[in-house]
Amino acid sequence: MRCEEIRSLLDAHLDHELAEELNRRLERHLLRCAACSYEARTLEQTRSMLREAVPIEVPSPSFRERASARLLDALPELHPTSGRTAARQWALPFSREDS
Amino acid sequence: MPTAPIETHHESPYEKRLVARLQAGESEALSALFDLHVDRVFAFARHLLGSREDAEEIVTEAFLRAFQRATAFRGDCPFRGWLFGITRNLCLDRLRQPRLMLLEPEAMERHTDHGQGAAQMETSLVVRQALAQLSEEHRLVLTLCDVEEWDAHEVAAILEKSLPATKSLLYRARRALRTELTTLWDEDEEETHDAL
Repeated sequence: MRCEEIRSLLDAHLDHELAEELNRRLERHLLRCAACSYEARTLEQTRSMLREAVPIEVPSPSFRERASARLLDALPELHPTSGRTAARQWALPFSREDS
Repeated sequence: MPTAPIETHHESPYEKRLVARLQAGESEALSALFDLHVDRVFAFARHLLGSREDAEEIVTEAFLRAFQRATAFRGDCPFRGWLFGITRNLCLDRLRQPRLMLLEPEAMERHTDHGQGAAQMETSLVVRQALAQLSEEHRLVLTLCDVEEWDAHEVAAILEKSLPATKSLLYRARRALRTELTTLWDEDEEETHDAL
């Protein structure tokens, strides 16, 4: 395999997307070719450093609770036939007679 | 702003049933849909906006709008696609507003909590600095694919690109980040050398 071809496969190799035989050939090339090996290693290091620097983002439990409550509170307005709507109309600034 | 749904994946029969139950006004369906999608929508908004507070605000609003649309829509509706489409548009609107780019203290605390030493923390700061230099598209594809490890098909749908175009973008983004990192460390070494 030529270096150019190897370089085009490095990302797929990094993502474990290469077929077994192709992967074996690529790894054999990396053992022999310092330039391609450097290219592969720096790509892997970059991704590894990125993963250490940027955390996986998860919503906090308090946000989940607040957002969930807000959305549930909005349900009667989303769905006017819901039983909670009638009670809520008293809180609106304009009564039905005004309109 | 009209939002075209994003074809993020084929909705499962379970999700479809939840949407139908939401349309019938069931609060349990609303909670289940929220629980099903909140992690990914939050991660998407958080990485795009760079601020936890902004992401929380946008995610709540996006769910609200997607629920409004789902209840108003009769029949089979692409809820998840709407949700991501609305989230993306709200994030882009927010990004157009002038704001300060700050590294959140909370992010720093989390790093400390994870037991990173001073050297590791310095490396992390440089990586985040390098990431911030990249285009928004490069930053997003890197964080979704390489940090969050989402399926490339889903990232392609969110970015509204084909799978090959998304992979090509990811590969370019990895190299762009490597170049930025190399530049930053080269500058750092030059400064250290000059100081000696």
